[in-house]
Amino acid sequence: MKDISLVRILPQEPRVPFINVRMIAAAFSVLAIIASIFLFTTKGLNYGIDFTGGTVIEINTNEDPDDEAIRNALIDMGFNGATVQGIQPPVGALDQEGNPITHRLMRIGLQLADETGEEGQGAQQAALKRATDGLEERIGKFYIRNTEVVGSQVSGELRRKGIMSVALALLMVLGYIWFRFEWQFGLGAVFALAHDVILTIGVFSLTQIEFNLTIIAAILTIVGYSLNDTVIVYDRIRENLRKFKKKPLPEVLNIAINDTLSRTILTSLTTLLALVALYVLGGSALKGFSFAMIWGVFVGTYSSIFVASPLLLALKLKRGANTGGERAEV
Amino acid sequence: MLFFSRSKILMILGAVFIGLLLAIPNALPEKAREAMPGPFQRTINLGLDLQGGAHMLLEVDLSSILDQALINERTAINDAFRRAEDRPRTEFVRPDEGTILARMRTKEDADKAMPLLQNLSQPVDPTQLNSPKTTRVTRESDKNIRVTITDQNIEFIRKQTIEKSIGVLGRRIDPNGNLELILAPEGDKRILLQVPGAQNIDEIKERINKSANLSFHLVNEKDSTNEQALSVAMETGRVATSDKYFPFAESNGRGGGLIVVERTRITGDCLKDSSGGPHPTGPGAVVNFSFNVGCATEFGRMTARNINKRFAVILDGEIITAPNIRSAITGGSGYIEGGFTLESARDLSLLLNAGALPAKLTIVEERTVDPSLGADSIRAGKVASGIGLLGVALFMWLSYGLRFGTIANLALSTNIILIAAALSLFGSTLTLPGIAGIILTIGMAVDANVLIFERIREETYNGKTPINAIETGYKRSMAPILDANITTLIAAITLYFVGSGPVRGFAVTLAIGIVMSVFTAVIFARLLTATWLRGKRPKTLPI
Repeated sequence: MKDISLVRILPQEPRVPFINVRMIAAAFSVLAIIASIFLFTTKGLNYGIDFTGGTVIEINTNEDPDDEAIRNALIDMGFNGATVQGIQPPVGALDQEGNPITHRLMRIGLQLADETGEEGQGAQQAALKRATDGLEERIGKFYIRNTEVVGSQVSGELRRKGIMSVALALLMVLGYIWFRFEWQFGLGAVFALAHDVILTIGVFSLTQIEFNLTIIAAILTIVGYSLNDTVIVYDRIRENLRKFKKKPLPEVLNIAINDTLSRTILTSLTTLLALVALYVLGGSALKGFSFAMIWGVFVGTYSSIFVASPLLLALKLKRGANTGGERAEV
Repeated sequence: MLFFSRSKILMILGAVFIGLLLAIPNALPEKAREAMPGPFQRTINLGLDLQGGAHMLLEVDLSSILDQALINERTAINDAFRRAEDRPRTEFVRPDEGTILARMRTKEDADKAMPLLQNLSQPVDPTQLNSPKTTRVTRESDKNIRVTITDQNIEFIRKQTIEKSIGVLGRRIDPNGNLELILAPEGDKRILLQVPGAQNIDEIKERINKSANLSFHLVNEKDSTNEQALSVAMETGRVATSDKYFPFAESNGRGGGLIVVERTRITGDCLKDSSGGPHPTGPGAVVNFSFNVGCATEFGRMTARNINKRFAVILDGEIITAPNIRSAITGGSGYIEGGFTLESARDLSLLLNAGALPAKLTIVEERTVDPSLGADSIRAGKVASGIGLLGVALFMWLSYGLRFGTIANLALSTNIILIAAALSLFGSTLTLPGIAGIILTIGMAVDANVLIFERIREETYNGKTPINAIETGYKRSMAPILDANITTLIAAITLYFVGSGPVRGFAVTLAIGIVMSVFTAVIFARLLTATWLRGKRPKTLPI
C-alpha cells in the first residue's frame, strides 16, 4: 500500500533566518508591550462580576426579547447601571420544556451602587429578587437559566487570588527551568511568558471582551502552552550547543529554532483546530476562554521563536562545560 | 527503547484495558451500569454548571456571636457576684473594647471578686486534658478587673458556630436527606453550600435567611400597659435593664409591641418536636410543639406562677403571639397561633425542628445554573470535542500517513479514554471549563507524538536505518517531552491550588490530560510502533 504523508511538504532542513530579524522582532515586541500597558492603564479591562462584584442573570423569553423594553423596565425599577445584552444560545440549546431555543437569550447585569457593609450584602439578594419579580410583572413570563451573584468582598479576594496564581505559576516555572537548564534559560523563558501575559491583557483591553475567572485559567494555560513551546526550542538549543561547538551562538540558536519548526507548526495547527471548534460551538460561556487560548497559541509560538531564544543572546549565554547539562550522551 | 519484555507489554495493555473498563460505564445506560462490579459503576461526576444546581458561599456573622459571648460572660459575672455568700459590691460590669471591665467599690471588694471570676474561667474543651481556659482575668488596678475571652476560646466558638450552622442548614434544606448536598466550611468564616439540580432556589434562600430563634418570655404587664413606658421603650429598646421591647410581627396584624422580661430559659433548644397543623378551634393553622422534660417542668412552673398574665412567643426579634395564661401548662406541649396558614405553619415547624442558626448568614456569592443550561453545555461540549477530535485525527492522518497517523490517533483516543477513566475513578468533578480542558488536551496531546515523529524523520534524513531512526527518535525526544509537560503540569497544579470552583475543574482535567498524554505518546504509541516494526521490518519509513 502506498502511504502518503503530507508532512513531507515541510522542508526537512529549513534555514529561515529567524535570529537575523531579532532586532525587528524586539522592536515589535517592545512596542506591543508598551501599547498593551498603555491600553491597560487608559482603557482598562472589562472586568466580569467575578472581579467587580455584582449580579448577572441569563434569561430565556418565549420569543426574541425586546432589549429596549427590558432596559426601560429595569430603569423604571431604579436599576440605572443595568446592562442588557443579547447572546446567541449554544448549538442545539433546549429550554426548560425541551423545545429548541431559536431566539436570542438575554444577559442582564445589575450593579449595585453601594454593596459594602453588612446590609449591602443582603441587599444584593434583595435587589435580585426585586429585579426578577419586577421584570416578570413588566415584560411577562421568562425563565432564568443562570444566576450569578458575587459580593464585593468575595470579588476582591478572587482578584487577589487571580493575580497571585499567575505570579506564582511564573515563579515556579522559573525555578524549574533554572533547575533543568542554565539561569539564562530560566530568565529568558519567564520574560517570554511575561511578554505573553502582558500582550494577552492588552488584547482583552483592546477588544473589551469580558475578563473573568475563566480568562485567568486561560492565561495560565497560555503560560503552560507557551512554556511547552519554549522548552522544546531550549532543549534543542542545549543539544545543538554540544553538537556545533565551533559555530557562532546566533547560528546555533537559529538551527535549533529551524529544527523544531515543523513540530511547532504542526502542534499549533492541531491545537488551533480543537480551539476553533470550541470557539464556534462552545456557546457564550466558553467564547472568551477559547478566544484567549487561540490568541495564546499565536503569541506563545511567536514568543518562543522571537523572544525567548534571542533573549539568550541578550543575557549573554556562556558556552562552555556548563552548557552540557546532565545528559551528555550525543 | 524498542524492546519490551513480555511482562511490560502485559502491564501496558492491562492499564489501557482497565482504563477502558473504567471509562465504559459513562457510555452505558443506568440499568446496564448497575450490573457491573463495584469500581466499574462509577461515572464522571458532573459539576453544578453541567447538571444544574446552586452554588452558594455563606458568610457567618461571627462578630455578633462574639458580642453575644461577651454579653453572656457579663451575665455570668453578675450572677456569680449575686450568688456569692460574701457578695462583692460593684460600681459597674460592662463590655469594654471586646473585654469585660468590672469596677469594684473598694480594693476589698475586688479581692473578693478575683477568685469568683477565676472560677468562671473553665476549660474551653472539657473533654481535653490541659485545655486552655475560656477567659483570662487580670487585675488592672486596685478596683478594676478585666476579663478577656481567650483567643483559643474565640477559635473554639468560631468552629462551633460554623459546625452548628452546617448541621442546621443540612436539616433545613434537606430534611429528608436525599438531595446530595455539599456543605463544608470554607476559610475562616464561610460555608460552601452546593445543591445539585436545585429547582426551588427561592425557598432555599428563605431557609438560609431565617435564624428561627424562638423564645418564650413573660410580659411585663405593668410597663406594657403604660403608654408612656411603651413609647420610651420603643425609642430606646428597654426601660429597665432586665426588660426589653419587642414589636409584634406583621402577621400578627396589630402593630405596636410589648415589653417583656429578657431572661428566659424557654428557647428553641427546648423543643423536642414541632409540626404544623390546622387550628383546633378556629380558622387558620397553628404550630404544635412539645418540650423536652427539663423545659416542660420549667414552663409548668413559669405558667403556674403567672396565671392571668401573658407570655410572648418571640421569633427572630418579633412577637408572633402573646396569649394569656389561663392555667398552668404542665404537659410540656401546646400550640402557637400567630396568623399562620397551613403552609407557613409547616415551614416554621421545619425550621424549628432543624434548630436555630447560631448566627446570621449572608449569601456573599451565588451561582445558580438551570439544569437545561447545564444540558446545553454538555451537548455543546460533546459536539465541540467530537469535531475537534475528528479534525485533529484527520490532520494527523494527512500529515503522517496511514501508519504513523494511525499510531498517533490510537494514542489520542486511548488518551481520551484514560482521561474519562481517571475522572470516573477519582470521582473528580467535570465542569464546563473542564470540558474546555479536555478539548485543549485533544489538540495538545498529539504534541508528544509530533515531537517524536519529527525526530524520527530527522534521523532518517540523516541516514539512519528505520529501526535506528525510531530508536533514537524516541530516546532523544524523552527529555523535551518531559520538560515541556512538567512545566505545563506546574501551571495546572498552581491553578488547582489557587483557583476555585469551575477553574479547579479545568486544572484537574488539564493535569490528568497531561499525564495521560505522556503515557499514551511515550509508552503506548512506542509499543505500537515497536510491534509494527517487528512484524514488517520495513526498509524505508513511510513518514
